[in-house]
Amino acid sequence: MSTKPLFHKTNKSLPGKFRRASIKRPPTPDAEEEQDREPTLQEIINIKLIESGEKEKLKELLRERLIECGWRDEMKTLCRAFTRKKGRENVTVDDLVHVITPKGRASVPDSVKAELLQRIRAFLQTAAL
Amino acid sequence: NMFFVMLVIFPMSIVVCVQLALHVFGDLLDSIIVDVASECHRIARLGLERKLDEEEEELRLSAQARARIADPSNNVEANGKYVVDIFGQTHPPVANEIFDCMNCGRSIMAGRFAPHLEKCMGKGRKARLKATRSSTAAQNRYSRGSPVSTYSPYSSTASINRLSNGNPRVATGECSNGTVEEP
Repeated sequence: MSTKPLFHKTNKSLPGKFRRASIKRPPTPDAEEEQDREPTLQEIINIKLIESGEKEKLKELLRERLIECGWRDEMKTLCRAFTRKKGRENVTVDDLVHVITPKGRASVPDSVKAELLQRIRAFLQTAAL
Repeated sequence: NMFFVMLVIFPMSIVVCVQLALHVFGDLLDSIIVDVASECHRIARLGLERKLDEEEEELRLSAQARARIADPSNNVEANGKYVVDIFGQTHPPVANEIFDCMNCGRSIMAGRFAPHLEKCMGKGRKARLKATRSSTAAQNRYSRGSPVSTYSPYSSTASINRLSNGNPRVATGECSNGTVEEP
């Protein structure tokens, strides 16, 4: 992998697959420390996902599956219960996120998870690795 | 760390791939969690919970009503007072709510309002003819020979005609353009 950061002016010096990345932004003017290090593989993949539109498709697929299996209704029930306890006016989005995250992450059906992982890995294979 | 455990069994590329996939999945799931939380927050703060409950109740009741119609054991034939509608209610053959006639002010039973109005407005009009604005219009209609003996230039004309034909439609003195919609 090239030592130059991916977000540099041109990508002609980069090998093969990374040339196809379409980001040609000059570095942002504010002096953040993060600008100095190279983007992680995760960040690169994330960008490719978004650019190709695959992230949106994956999200839609996941959302659909979670609705079908009743996961969403479960989460909404949790939210309603919490809201009744804390009071309608005092609830924040943050509260609700914290309420449903643990159960939410744990209760995704295995089949749904497997389907999504399969598609993501297929994308990874075609995109980069 | 799982990473190293997996590394023993699978080659690096597969391990990295799986890790990445899990990370992406986690991202998507977190994003959807935020969406759900945000929507529930909105519903909570806008007080839509009540409305949703009420709508649900409505749907339930109408499903019930529909089921009652479909049920052959219900007595659907007219049987005097025992006709049952889709909500399971019965209604008397003559509407028995009582209210005040807006013309003469008397207390009238709803089912008897139409015939009352025939007499009520018919008699009243004789006295009111002189006070009407367009007496020419009244005379024109009068000379055309309608079945009702007296006319007013206002809508009561058309309505009275219909009343005397047995149409149960109620007419008020309020319509001023002389038109009443056909039922």
